[in-house]
Amino acid sequence: MSALNDLATAFMGLMTPTLLFHAAWATLLGIIVGSLPGLTATMGVALMTTLTYSLDSTAAILVLLCMYVGAIYGGSRSAILLNIPGTPASAATSLDGYPLAKKGRAGYAMGLATAGSMLGTLVGIVLLVMIAPPLAEAALNFGSFEFFWLAVFGIVISGQLTADTTPVKGYIAGILGLMVAMIGSEGIHAHVRFNLGVGDLNAGIGLIPAMVGAFGFAEVLNAMWSKAGTLATAKDKSDRVLPRLVDLWRYKVTTVRSGIIGTLVGIIPGVGEDIGAWASYVAARRSSKKPEEYGHGSYEGLTAAETGNSAVVPGSLIPAITLAVPGSASSAVLIAALFIHGIRPGPLIMIEQPQFISSVAAMLVLATLFMGLYGLSLTRAFVQVLRVPYAYLMPIVFVLCVVGTYALSQRVFDIYVMLFFGIVGFLLRQMRYPMAPLVLGIILGDLLDKSLRRGLTLSDGDLTPFFTRPVSLAFVLIIALSILANVSWVRARVSRLISSGKSSDA
Amino acid sequence: MTMSQADRLTAIVLAALGLAMAVGGYTMDRLEIRQIHPASIPGLVPMILGVLMVICAALLFRDGARAASEESSSVFASGSWMRLGLTAALTLAYAIVLLGWLPYFWATVVFVFAFAALFSWPAEGSTRARLICLGSAALLALAASWGTTALFSEVFLVRLP
Repeated sequence: MSALNDLATAFMGLMTPTLLFHAAWATLLGIIVGSLPGLTATMGVALMTTLTYSLDSTAAILVLLCMYVGAIYGGSRSAILLNIPGTPASAATSLDGYPLAKKGRAGYAMGLATAGSMLGTLVGIVLLVMIAPPLAEAALNFGSFEFFWLAVFGIVISGQLTADTTPVKGYIAGILGLMVAMIGSEGIHAHVRFNLGVGDLNAGIGLIPAMVGAFGFAEVLNAMWSKAGTLATAKDKSDRVLPRLVDLWRYKVTTVRSGIIGTLVGIIPGVGEDIGAWASYVAARRSSKKPEEYGHGSYEGLTAAETGNSAVVPGSLIPAITLAVPGSASSAVLIAALFIHGIRPGPLIMIEQPQFISSVAAMLVLATLFMGLYGLSLTRAFVQVLRVPYAYLMPIVFVLCVVGTYALSQRVFDIYVMLFFGIVGFLLRQMRYPMAPLVLGIILGDLLDKSLRRGLTLSDGDLTPFFTRPVSLAFVLIIALSILANVSWVRARVSRLISSGKSSDA
Repeated sequence: MTMSQADRLTAIVLAALGLAMAVGGYTMDRLEIRQIHPASIPGLVPMILGVLMVICAALLFRDGARAASEESSSVFASGSWMRLGLTAALTLAYAIVLLGWLPYFWATVVFVFAFAALFSWPAEGSTRARLICLGSAALLALAASWGTTALFSEVFLVRLP
């Protein structure tokens, strides 16, 4: 009950003309960014971090969260109309959204996607308010040993779940991120590592320039390299955008299940919205009474995908706020933004700023309300946004990448960092390396490095506590099992054992 | 280039990077003069990361070699090299050359105009279509440059390059 009171108080605190104005424009901009293929939520949040650093912390965090919520939802527009997900999070949406658009039900598909996204975010918010405070409290008991394994767990799981072809590429991306984090002055003895004689590298590689490069400049290169899609032109025969209550009620179980799956996927470090959407979609198809409709314009499939990806947003904020471990690439940028605005995410958040979780939840509710408002009222206007040619859009995005990166610390060197990560990000993406573990590596590198060396110092060089403390042991087991599950001969042996067990039972 | 070839090539580069990191970590100052705990030497984690990278690179090379015998998907095949080359040239020229050479406002005008005009140029269009293209690009360039200059220098008080 007190959580609800805190949420209501925090929500009322946002009811000022200035904050409402910020929420309104940021959500709208987020939807536009998300709906344009080539502009991702992470890119939007990273660019917006550079544009909001002079705002006060409440307004800045509100703007970033509205951008995040709006962009993840906005991806469904182009997924439905172009069959090109505006953001990777909407890949599953296009499976049923585009066939619906081709049947002339684009308006209704977008209305249903809006309702699904709203409900997904709301389920996630409820779980955020319920899970985050006890998790922060539990994390207070974490020592260097647990934090070391938490960082390893994040990299391994993220590398495994986000890799497109082989988990090795996910691990490599994670290790590359950790290597980048090793550059500059280290956190225990302030010794400068790997600066290659360049004075600007003494402070390390900034997360924001790296992210703007990997998600902004890389996307500009990618968008200009690949071909654009064609707009689904079938006229909407239904002429209806507002979802029918009977449809929403019919898919209530799918909505709640997808919301929970999305939130849980969000909690897993560095996994992100696309996996949330796919996991929800697959679960919904498995338990559907009409699985044959999936992929051919199923309302249920569309609802599951959109609910799942939107629920990841609040879910990814749970570890981001309580452990300073991002649940998604966008929340990694949010962590950096929180530090810029003087908020220290981590287990101490409930002691230093006990109202912060309620404030974040209230901001997400506000963003969800604006998202619903725009989604249901401006459905047809968003179609026009998709007609903006890349030739006009991409130079402006690149100018913002350059000037936004420079504005943060006013160092030309950061522009070069952004360019470097943009080119590397483009090349890695072409070779199907996931970007999320790379980002997670950059942000977790310091935690991993300090925790390992601090832990070893505490135990006088003894490795035993890393494996014997209960939470550490649990992490070790999960990490070992998840790695072993990907080793082909282990998998083959286990399946042979299972099949021989079954035949002996028979 | 097939994905397996690209993977094997990348594996060699990554192995070299891992090796360099491991050697860099091993030869890094151990700060004995400051009498730090030997387990907290700054090179410890870089050494571990270097070794892990070499292992992953070896696995990637093995996977690439295995896939070479099977049908492998292509890499860098689904796009336009011409568009990519032009984009890279224009963006790098703007960020590295133009920004130091011209004031921000004019550098941005030149870049946005060149980018928009080049990629929307109607090669087989009439003179009128070409004039419209140039006019639209010029308008966009002036608006984008004025907008970002005003936002960053007037609102955020940033001294633009």
